[in-house]
Amino acid sequence: MPKLFNKILVANRGEIAVRVLRACQTLNIKTVSVYSTADKYAVHTLMGDEACEIGPPPPLESYLNVDKIIEAAKLSGADAIHPGYGFLAENCNFAQACLDNGFVFIGPPPDAILLMGNKIESRKKMAGAGVPLIPGMKSAGNSLDEFKKVADESGYPVLIKAAAGGGGKGMRVVNDPVDLETAIDGAKREAKSAFDDDTVYLEKYIVDPRHIEFQVFADSHGNAIHVFERECSIQRRHQKIIEETPSVAVTPKLRKKMGEAAVAVTKACGYVNAGTVEFLLDKNGKFYFLEMNTRIQVEHPVTEEVVGVDLVAEQIKVASGFPLSDKFKNLSQRGHAIECRIYAEDAGNNFMPSIGKILLYREPTGPGVRVDSGVRQDSEIGIDYDPIMAKLIVWGEDRDMAIARMIKALREYKILGIKQSIKYLADIVAHEKYKSGETYTDFIDKNFADWSDDGADNIELALAAAAVINANGGQKVAFGSNRQSRKDYNPWLSIGPWRLGEKIK
Amino acid sequence: MIYEFIHNGETKTVELKDGNKAVFADSQNTIDINYTPDGRIFIQNAGASKEIFAVTSGNKTFVDIDGTLFEFTIPSEENGIGGAGGELTDPSKVFAPMPGKVVKVMVKVGDEVEKKDQLIIVEAMKMEHICIARAKAKVSAVNFSIGDQVDTDTPLIELELVE
Repeated sequence: MPKLFNKILVANRGEIAVRVLRACQTLNIKTVSVYSTADKYAVHTLMGDEACEIGPPPPLESYLNVDKIIEAAKLSGADAIHPGYGFLAENCNFAQACLDNGFVFIGPPPDAILLMGNKIESRKKMAGAGVPLIPGMKSAGNSLDEFKKVADESGYPVLIKAAAGGGGKGMRVVNDPVDLETAIDGAKREAKSAFDDDTVYLEKYIVDPRHIEFQVFADSHGNAIHVFERECSIQRRHQKIIEETPSVAVTPKLRKKMGEAAVAVTKACGYVNAGTVEFLLDKNGKFYFLEMNTRIQVEHPVTEEVVGVDLVAEQIKVASGFPLSDKFKNLSQRGHAIECRIYAEDAGNNFMPSIGKILLYREPTGPGVRVDSGVRQDSEIGIDYDPIMAKLIVWGEDRDMAIARMIKALREYKILGIKQSIKYLADIVAHEKYKSGETYTDFIDKNFADWSDDGADNIELALAAAAVINANGGQKVAFGSNRQSRKDYNPWLSIGPWRLGEKIK
Repeated sequence: MIYEFIHNGETKTVELKDGNKAVFADSQNTIDINYTPDGRIFIQNAGASKEIFAVTSGNKTFVDIDGTLFEFTIPSEENGIGGAGGELTDPSKVFAPMPGKVVKVMVKVGDEVEKKDQLIIVEAMKMEHICIARAKAKVSAVNFSIGDQVDTDTPLIELELVE
């Protein structure tokens, strides 16, 4: 009979570290946080039962430093290490180093990480397992005849792509066989001038795709299941910003087919623990395997809300050697959940990261509202790490209710002192095309390319408020805070003379 | 009490009367504003009550109205004195009040400036220091640009005073 770990080290920071620490606390497992010197007083640092400093702010010298994390695990006597997402989560050398040093890595085996991390090898392997891939050439095309043949097999429209490509250069969509030759020549010329490499290949062009991914879970006893889909089509520069489940485009029949494919992927790579299989879904209900993410995903909470399980707690149980429970193997979807990622960035100015101190922080509350946050009032947002501060997740009995709750919750969410993306997100969720479920991967480019919010209508109101707050002495927030040693650290010492519900002195 | 704020490089003025009435000279508008004993701000507008969030830090004030963010800076006569002098004697040279980084330059050589016009902003100790013209003048030299580190001894801007 397996038993749960005594102590887990969380090899991450910010909101996901807090999320994992919460799961550990729920299971009564002792925790160890690790922190760089920039995070000495961060939420995740103070939340661990113990905290180990692992070096200076640059990630390579701290959160990405395998030796330092292993050393912290040894010092603290942890039995297992949870990598969160990002940093070392998909680094097979780190997973191997954990095992070599006698720690359980709460994630898949190193071999599975290595295989699925190689996008070309993994697609080959999945083709062998009968998982649908985007039809087309696997390498550079040599002759016009070859291009014609593959285009006919794939079916028009097709896409000509530069092998060295990126940023849309050397790409041509071809709708009609008569235009194929011209398009190849054009793409070659463009690729040559952009990358000094005129190698091009052809694959099927997916019209209005949606990004649909399936949460999968496997235990060490041979059970593998899927926990339904998430739609993550709302993306900016291939970075997801809003995710939801269920997807409006996935019918019960399609869900069954895609879920089976996701489980086939999971089994084919010898997977254990939580993972995500990503697909592109086209307008005709055809889907294609893109890649597998061998970690807990940023957007895992929407799945948790509609199926009612704690996926991170399940990760820990599976890593301890427990089989998937019958309850977990027979989950069903209830209601609808949406997640918005809250970034410290200037949405009105090319999404430049915003740094500084959070001077006022107020989270939304109410039925169906959840905030997974790694910051609080007084947190310093620095330049060293990903600008994600928190995730706002809502649940509603149906999609309309979830959208209404998200709009309300975003309206209640206040972060002052830095720039953040809350208003931008609110405008997206309130957009008619979002409400009607026309969420394709080009949604942002089509509808929000020129978004700005100068608040011109409200400038006088804002000035009035600024005058009043200054007339009343303002909320004096000292820059830099009273740093205490960790032993006698008290967050109230650094918050200044201001208290909730108390008049400013 | 009259308040002056810089917003996106423009100077905005508002007069606060009786602590709860904001009056705008340009538009002739008046806004009634409620400041609660526990430090919260509400306005009533067309029968609806709305909370506005505001916080100050140093010479900056941050305001949130319905999710739209505003950042105001209170201008202050921050000109340094250059070298080890003790008085702001020479209005034709503009010095940084403390060593820092230039974050904004509002004038170029040849510009005519009025007294109190903003010339250059230096950020030091996480505060923005706005250097202003202390007399009517013509800009004769701009010695730094955005991103430059500056000390307190080298004039940032040089002026030719206009009588």
